[in-house]
Amino acid sequence: MSRRVVITGVGVVSSIGTGRDDFWSALIKGESGISKISSFDTSDFSNHYGGEIKNFNPEVFIERPKLAGLGRASCLAVSGAMLAVRDAKLNLEGIDKERFGVAMGTTMAESQIFQEVNENWVKKGEGAINPDLICRLPANVLSCNVAIEFGLKGPNYVISTACAAGNYAIGYAYDLVRTKKADMMLAGGADAFSRIAFTGFNRLLAVAPELCQPFDKDRKGMLVGEGAAALVIEPLEDALNRGADIYAEIIGYGLSCDAHHMTAPYCEGIKEAIEKSLQEAKLAADDVGYFSAHGTGTPSNDKEECLAIKKAFGGYAKKLPVSSIKSMLGHTMGAASAIEAVTCCLVLKNGIMPPTINFKTPDPECDIDCIPNTARYAKVDIALNNASAFGGNNACLVLKKYG
Amino acid sequence: MPEDKIVITGLGVISSNGIGKDAFFEGVFSGTSGIKPVSLFDTSLLKVKTAGEIKDFSPQQFLGPKGLRTLDRSTKLVASAAKMALDDAGLNITEENSRQAGIAIGDTLGSISSISDFDREALTEGPRYVNPALFPNTVINSPASQVSIKFNIKGFNATLSTGFSASLDAINYAVDMLKFGKAKVVLAGGVEELCIQIFLGFYKCGFLAGSSGAAGEICCPFDKRRNGVILGEGAGILVLETLGSALKRQATIYAQVRGFGNGFDAFRINRYNPQAEGLKKSMRLALEESGISAQDIDYICSGANSSPDGDAMETAGIKDVFGQSARELKISSIKSMVGECFSAGGVLQAIAALAAIEKQMVPPTVNYQEKDPACDLNYVVNQASNCKIDNVLINAFGPSGCNSSLVISKFNNN
Repeated sequence: MSRRVVITGVGVVSSIGTGRDDFWSALIKGESGISKISSFDTSDFSNHYGGEIKNFNPEVFIERPKLAGLGRASCLAVSGAMLAVRDAKLNLEGIDKERFGVAMGTTMAESQIFQEVNENWVKKGEGAINPDLICRLPANVLSCNVAIEFGLKGPNYVISTACAAGNYAIGYAYDLVRTKKADMMLAGGADAFSRIAFTGFNRLLAVAPELCQPFDKDRKGMLVGEGAAALVIEPLEDALNRGADIYAEIIGYGLSCDAHHMTAPYCEGIKEAIEKSLQEAKLAADDVGYFSAHGTGTPSNDKEECLAIKKAFGGYAKKLPVSSIKSMLGHTMGAASAIEAVTCCLVLKNGIMPPTINFKTPDPECDIDCIPNTARYAKVDIALNNASAFGGNNACLVLKKYG
Repeated sequence: MPEDKIVITGLGVISSNGIGKDAFFEGVFSGTSGIKPVSLFDTSLLKVKTAGEIKDFSPQQFLGPKGLRTLDRSTKLVASAAKMALDDAGLNITEENSRQAGIAIGDTLGSISSISDFDREALTEGPRYVNPALFPNTVINSPASQVSIKFNIKGFNATLSTGFSASLDAINYAVDMLKFGKAKVVLAGGVEELCIQIFLGFYKCGFLAGSSGAAGEICCPFDKRRNGVILGEGAGILVLETLGSALKRQATIYAQVRGFGNGFDAFRINRYNPQAEGLKKSMRLALEESGISAQDIDYICSGANSSPDGDAMETAGIKDVFGQSARELKISSIKSMVGECFSAGGVLQAIAALAAIEKQMVPPTVNYQEKDPACDLNYVVNQASNCKIDNVLINAFGPSGCNSSLVISKFNNN
């Protein structure tokens, strides 16, 4: 009844590199994508750093006439999807596009268009609202633009579960393929660098001045980032038939909601999602070889996530290698768990785990093995990809090495 | 198999033509229009002045006096609808069953006013002075998340932002999660609020009736005079559960969710596909999943919203899928009364479908006068019509290319 489902292509657009190979080599070297913010003036803020993608040229991926109709988040999403399709060596001509769908996660979708609309409004009044911008603004444009680029007519979803959205989208795509509601899905997440998010996190006093230091005793907060990632998801049988390279098999995922607080992370809800994911995948805690943490670098997130890890993994928690690539990218919002899912695929495939960089001082409240500062070789069979979000949304995805 | 059948055991609805089940049912059957002059914001400088605005809404009535101050309108609407739905279903979410309860909400524009207000305050007052308590409202999932917090829903919390089809997609997501065994009960539906930002956006894009030309502001689906949409707002929540769960707690069953289909028109954003390919596909898939034939559908609760191309597209799609029986089918659009509620549109139609099944009556398309050769089917116009209704097909579609169809059937336990 249920089909086995695998990932056969990955695409990433990030502040440390665009495309699988550039992204991965930067990740393993522990390079940081954090820089001084240039997309807007930060002089009224007390912080000035973020994970903007500085050298991204959408014209490399998208034809110029089409670009005019796309906001930055759509550009990132379409480019990520294009990289994934190429990576999967898909011959789009030979594929049933009626059964090929898209599921994208996001927090705020086209936030930069919002900002432009609001700036015009504040400066020049309501009359200055530009209808061309309005048409590019609703969140559903993300999955629509990806589908239109490739002519995909299958299920089409934007799932807006904030910073866990990538995992929600990948999880649902897995369900759709597993239960034969689709034969192939492009799933992932995208968010553009957002002045609104930067303002809000600053007002919540959650932003670090310059460094994102997950699990460090002196961690000072998160850094706002941007990016996109997409994964090609298909049935194992089809992948084998077309001789595809398989990154990983998706063997389950767990969702939970804290029902506790809009912004405060909560260990019980995080633990619940991890445990559900292990149950669905029929795994024991010590089967897990790598744990990609949500690890935002805020004092409360890392503390609560570590508590959840200890509750879910028991005695194995201290042995479990855990890292947060947000130390390098900052928090890419709705793209985060999708980029982290790509990371898990590459960990399984390449047998190297990326580090948590900027780690100096251990925190007794985060006494886990966070792979500090240097990547580590290890044969990993099972990777967990954990994500949490505003609203208490938690989602944890289980990937298994194939073959 | 009781775990394979998904039933609806509760509903909550807030719309411009009725707050609560009884008022909404009465409103749609009597052909009452909720479309009136807008009072939420100033329209004096615009050519369009009406919308399906919800008047006399008091969230305190449903949610109590506390904790409402920082919630946005979408959140108050959907949380109130959720409270009604839970009460209607006689469902008590406790520590014991909260992990088996989920929520799936269709919401695409719901946070636009919150995002815009927050950002404009930061731009005018300076980023150090904007109220941080309003920041959580800027994420699109905040209405759904606040419902989880209020009612202790811990199983999962999903927001689907697929525009016009969002609440049908959310209902389908809920059905999927129930069938996959990831929850025993799910609150599913959608919400969209009326605000100056969305109103101006639609107005400036020329989507609103009366925003250009001389035809004026009329919401008259399928009528030759139609000239664009009248915006609306609303929230609807259904309590969905497996038949097993409903029987175990001896719940009253409104109807069964029979099947769903969707299809994307990879055509062009903001243009309806005149061939209706995506909508034809969604209707066919919904029938297929329901295991019934086109002839078994008694009523189509249409997504037509008085836009010239959209109504014609749905009509063409129905003719293609239903063939000979297309002309015998009863078809109507409640959007003639509540306006285009976008992400909430589908669930309001679904609730109208439940009304139709319960009362064996089709709600009318109001404001219908002039026949259009491009829309020449058997629409139920201006007055409700009694007939046998076992199976209802609900369509939701828009110019973004997302098309979804849902079949809801009279419950029959055999």
